[in-house]
Amino acid sequence: MLQFIAKRLLQIIPTFIGATLLAFVIIQLTPGDFTDRFALDPNADAAQLERLRVNFGLDQPVIIQYFRWVWGIISSGYLGESFTYRAPVGTIIVPLIYNSLSLVMISLVLTYVLAIPIGVYQATRQYSNGDKALSFLSIMGLALPNFFFILLLIVGVLSFQAGLRQVYQSDAWYKPILEFFTYDLKNGLWFPVGGMRTTEIYDSLPWWQQMIDRAWHLILPTIVVTTSGLSSLVRVVRGQMLDFLQADFIRTARAKGLSERIVTYKHVLRNAIGPVVSGLGTILPELVTGAGLVEFVYRWPGITPGFVTAIQQQDLYVVMGLLVLSAILLMIGNLVSDLLLAFVDPRIRYS
Amino acid sequence: MTTPAAENQTVRAQSRGQVVQAQFRKHRLAVSSLWVLIIFYALAAFADFVAPYGENESFFRGAIDRSYAPPTRIHWIDPATGGLSFPFVYNVSSQLNLDSLELEYKEDTSQKYPIRLFTQGAPYTPFPISLIPQEWRRTWGFDPQIGLRLFGVDKPATLFVWGADKLGRDVFARILFGARVTLTIGVFAATLSLIVGLVLGAISGYYGGWIDDGIMRLVEVLATIPGLFLLLALRALFPLDAKSSVVYFVVVLILGLIRWGPVARAVRGQVFSLREEDYVMAARSLGSNDARIIFQHILPGTASFAIVSFSLLIPGFILTESGLSFLGLGISDPNSSWGLMLAVAQEGGMQTFTSRPWMLIPGIFIFVAVLAFNFVGDGLRDALDPKARR
Repeated sequence: MLQFIAKRLLQIIPTFIGATLLAFVIIQLTPGDFTDRFALDPNADAAQLERLRVNFGLDQPVIIQYFRWVWGIISSGYLGESFTYRAPVGTIIVPLIYNSLSLVMISLVLTYVLAIPIGVYQATRQYSNGDKALSFLSIMGLALPNFFFILLLIVGVLSFQAGLRQVYQSDAWYKPILEFFTYDLKNGLWFPVGGMRTTEIYDSLPWWQQMIDRAWHLILPTIVVTTSGLSSLVRVVRGQMLDFLQADFIRTARAKGLSERIVTYKHVLRNAIGPVVSGLGTILPELVTGAGLVEFVYRWPGITPGFVTAIQQQDLYVVMGLLVLSAILLMIGNLVSDLLLAFVDPRIRYS
Repeated sequence: MTTPAAENQTVRAQSRGQVVQAQFRKHRLAVSSLWVLIIFYALAAFADFVAPYGENESFFRGAIDRSYAPPTRIHWIDPATGGLSFPFVYNVSSQLNLDSLELEYKEDTSQKYPIRLFTQGAPYTPFPISLIPQEWRRTWGFDPQIGLRLFGVDKPATLFVWGADKLGRDVFARILFGARVTLTIGVFAATLSLIVGLVLGAISGYYGGWIDDGIMRLVEVLATIPGLFLLLALRALFPLDAKSSVVYFVVVLILGLIRWGPVARAVRGQVFSLREEDYVMAARSLGSNDARIIFQHILPGTASFAIVSFSLLIPGFILTESGLSFLGLGISDPNSSWGLMLAVAQEGGMQTFTSRPWMLIPGIFIFVAVLAFNFVGDGLRDALDPKARR
């Protein structure tokens, strides 16, 4: 097993080099270097500029620059300097990545937790009305753009606003119940319509109310990101299950008199799960991408809004850092999915 | 001598094309989706004629101010007689609501403005000619302009079927003009990535060895970077404030260059088996060079795969283009695209959504177009797959 992990880690190296090289080439293709930015600043003095150029090795050949940059990442995780914030790129992008990942990870877990039972249900009752309805929904989900879906959800929340406000002003008996099940009854908001926390009051709340506040803000974006992942994964689970439901060994299992439950979960699902687990490698980038536009609409301070701002400000090292870190995260995701696959499927040899 | 009965029994052999067509027709959803798409493209092509107003014809802060005007109510009942009449609209006047600080539109029922069919509007260049760049048309001295429109009303009344945006531009018209961008970018980008994928996949599979290794590593690298971020980083290479026509080509180029990986990988697999076929061996022994073998003998064998992946690539590109425009990195105002229109819809802040829901209509168009392309792609896949014959 250790050997397998080591081998898999070694395989990451060429991909890592490729991804960093690609990011580097993209940045090199961009006209000018980043000191041009500082040069426009009237306060910058020439000696400081020259020092910066030497610091960043911009006086060196491109290939040396690349190796220095990569070495900086490997040795100390140093990704360069942001020119907009005048701070190391790492300090700027790590919170962005953390915020995005908290959204993506919850959605990823939910996607898997929901996709497997739904896919199993559909496959075991193929062509039933439930199967048809769910298939229809997943096709719809594939075609519904994430950013449009979150806009629709926000519109939905806002359309309740007037009614909920009225309840707040009245003294109906169900007011306390509604107060508990809404985010902000006073303003008629069933769910928050943007942001990661209620900025005005967040710091003054006790820790458990901070948790609740964060959870409320997570609901809408999680729904959107999860449904987008779910639409594609459910189809994989269903297809896989159907392939194995016809297999001879399933007939044997039934003939032995095993209950349908055991046949479905222990025999069919156990065999069908492989591509579902290795699908993690493709679902994860999809979710990261899908979460991106949701973050943008919902003002979630994640990778994509940071990326777009960095592009608009031509903050190239931030762009490059985000590109490389997201690639590394995806490589880790792929590694995890391979390990999981080896774990759930004993037929895969480790060595 | 054959009898008429025997003649009837002879089965007419169907060509492959006929078989595929017949199979496709059995897929009812795919056929109706195809019709939806045909209508969309026709509307996009003849947008100037179908829409009552031009792409950038705005009624803002002038004699007629229609900022965020709601969809115009079309009346069918004549208030004087109470009977049916030819549809007409009333002029509207705006008042500032002092509570919400928003313009409210009230109908002025004193005068009816009948909807006119085949009316005259602002002049435009009709469809097939409008494809020729304007500079060429000018230098040739061939620049016909017509003002014919399908329907419209006399000024000062306005006819906004789906309301107006902030600058008082017709949302319906902008959707039709936006379709020109959104629906064609997907097709061009899919063509580009298909060509790149087919050629690199074929080379990879045909030569094998280090060429194959190199190309496949490149595919893996492309797959490790999340598509959206790669797209954004590549977009950063080009000026953000470029003209829409330049941005259009940039977006096609970028989209085409990020999604060819899966195509190349699949084609490579097919070519691996195709290159061992006897007819390839025959071509080689006849002295054909590699290029001829790849393009004349091997690639045609991947045609059905190419058709299916082409139709399934387009919806993905439509979504991506909409997303890019939505982020403000694609087509920009004054030109229109569905994603951009949605971005504009959320500009006024979340609280304004409920007061102007018609600004979200472009999203429905993205949804329907993507759905239709997916169905057509599924239909084509089933029709071209001999195992799925019904």
